[in-house]
Amino acid sequence: MGFSDFHGNAETVHRLRDMLARGRFPHAVILAGARGAGKYTLALMLAQALNCLAPTETDGLPDFCGQCANCRRIALAADLDARFAEAVEAREGLREADKKDTRLFVQTHPDVLVIPPDPPQMMIKVDQVRRVIETIYYRPAEARERVYIFTDSAFMKEAANSLLKVLEEPPEFATIFLLSENPGELLPTIRSRSMVFHLGAVPVEDVERYLAEQRPEWKAPQRALVARLSEGALGRARGFDVESYIAARADAMAILNSALLGGEHTALFKITESYRAGAEGREKTEQLLRTLYSLLRDLMFLGSGASAMLHNTDIQSQLAKMAEAADFEWIAAASDRLADVERGMRRNLLRSLSLDGLSLALEKA
Amino acid sequence: MPVEAAVAVETMEITVSKVELLRELTATQGVVERKTTIPILSNYLFEAGDGELRLTATDLDLSLRTSCSAKVKKEGSCTIPARKLHDYVKLLPDADITIKLLENHWVSIRCGRSNTKMVGMAKSNFPSLPVFPTAGVVKIPGKVLRGLIGRTYFAISSEESRYTLNGALMLLKPESITMVATDGHRLAHCERSGEKFEGVSGELKTLVPKKCMDELKSLLDSTDAETVEFAKDESTLFFRIGSRLLTSRQLTGQFPNFEAVLPKDNSKSITLNNSDFNSAIQRVAQFADERSRAVRLKLEKGEVKISASSTEAGESEDSIEAPYDGETMTIGFNAVYLVDFLKAAGTSDVRLELKDSQSAGQLRPAEGDDYKYRYIVMPMRI
Repeated sequence: MGFSDFHGNAETVHRLRDMLARGRFPHAVILAGARGAGKYTLALMLAQALNCLAPTETDGLPDFCGQCANCRRIALAADLDARFAEAVEAREGLREADKKDTRLFVQTHPDVLVIPPDPPQMMIKVDQVRRVIETIYYRPAEARERVYIFTDSAFMKEAANSLLKVLEEPPEFATIFLLSENPGELLPTIRSRSMVFHLGAVPVEDVERYLAEQRPEWKAPQRALVARLSEGALGRARGFDVESYIAARADAMAILNSALLGGEHTALFKITESYRAGAEGREKTEQLLRTLYSLLRDLMFLGSGASAMLHNTDIQSQLAKMAEAADFEWIAAASDRLADVERGMRRNLLRSLSLDGLSLALEKA
Repeated sequence: MPVEAAVAVETMEITVSKVELLRELTATQGVVERKTTIPILSNYLFEAGDGELRLTATDLDLSLRTSCSAKVKKEGSCTIPARKLHDYVKLLPDADITIKLLENHWVSIRCGRSNTKMVGMAKSNFPSLPVFPTAGVVKIPGKVLRGLIGRTYFAISSEESRYTLNGALMLLKPESITMVATDGHRLAHCERSGEKFEGVSGELKTLVPKKCMDELKSLLDSTDAETVEFAKDESTLFFRIGSRLLTSRQLTGQFPNFEAVLPKDNSKSITLNNSDFNSAIQRVAQFADERSRAVRLKLEKGEVKISASSTEAGESEDSIEAPYDGETMTIGFNAVYLVDFLKAAGTSDVRLELKDSQSAGQLRPAEGDDYKYRYIVMPMRI
């Protein structure tokens, strides 16, 4: 156990550990990176390093043992999805009256509090931030450093404002981690009070090597495909759901096909109709939009003769056919349109209609 | 939380009297978290051994350990859902209860012809508890501590942004104990001297968190122990009251320099009957502005006029006879702050000391005060 288990982004990790070594670790840290880039994993590792009872050193920098009571208890929070599901279940089990004002927290160590977005809105709420403010000024009991990890940067407005207060003057023994896929989503005043570290994409070859260790049961072509599709995010690569991706891609291909090569609208509408309201529909739509972007990018690579950069290697011939029909202007216009749809989704436009609109707008005049 | 594989098979079997168990369960209810999604915090830790059952509740900031005598058949420990257990034991007949740990953290509770099983959690998940220090223990008479808390706790700020005011300052000297609380608008200060505190040299300053004050208050109300043993280490405060031990994490931060705000030259003094003053304020306050709760006090020869007005409610005035022959002056106060003091003072007469309408007013009991109780309220512009 130790930082050697963190793959990729060696330089960022090095910088963070260097600050640990100097005792100058910032009180507020924004870890930015794509989904699955390892933000949460790294935050927990740092929490362990801050509080390890038998700290070790590797490469001349502080590391953690992973064995002591603090390390072990903090590590229990590693499976965030499972802990989150337990918390949701615990809330379901409360009395009706208490349910409403109970907020979700994950805490496997008394001094390390993980704050996940609160369902059903899946945003960080003001009561969650209040809990942070109420407890942060208490001295740590079993650790050296109180650690707070916000796993998402979608804050309710009030919540973000009250977080500002505590970011202004955190006690010397507390560290707040803000994990964000898009730091731009945070208030500028929050960003200016924190240090931002980016977790960038890991090179495709490294992802493939990592997958060979983690997913030996996958076949080599599948690993190659996933390594390209996961966009350098190891967490995403490890848990990549190929089936649902292929399903989303089939829908995306149908939309592009009908736009570029002409086709039956009935088939198209049947597809877009399946993008419904609700949380499930949102996820499905988000995946579709991401897939559309990835296909557009591939079309661009093919158009410029850079087929080595292709992500969707398994459908190269189909893409090549499409690429002939798509010129650069069309791709650029299409990606603008796609951005419009994304914006519309945030304003809760009807999903199926927006997608219909998109595919019609993409049709070549 | 994942259930860890038990290394050795855990056992525990005890018999306790319902009355004793319920008494301890009730005493710890204040510390049990109700609204939490961290499952272990809604559990008690039960430990049986040496002819007693020790039970512990914690919300991570506070923990309360207590015990009751029990017939221990098998020593051991387990955790039990706190609220359900309390609700259930309340309803049992007054008889002996047998508690037994079964497999997979199930716990059986038998009493007469009632038989119940509840599921707890792995006790390794229970937070580890601070240990009462062996050195530096100070004995404080329970009655004194109760008096100090009762006179100050209501003035503690609940504004989360002013975190150093979210507790009361307890100041121990070899021969006196002082407690101060403030929210920035009013300050309650009381000092009890003539006590002997062994083990205190110089000044021992402690910031006692609000939650801890509340819990201490209710523990002191329900005990017949005469002294409280107080100790602290770097991170934790300890209060031992009889067989119960309350621990609280320490708050960080500096309590403001309160001595600077204690008024020194409030020369206009007036003695008022507590209950007359109290009821007059409460009546008049019905017509005060709902947000500011401001009432106006007008000192005139031989009387004090208390008045309030608001555009919605109307206006109201009360006057109380009082021996005053200084110059006429008017000052505004928040009615709630005044009433808080009058309730806590508990004497039949109180003295109001003022300087002018811009300066802080001071209230204190007029007679029979062993606590040197002073209460400072900032005036309001009205």
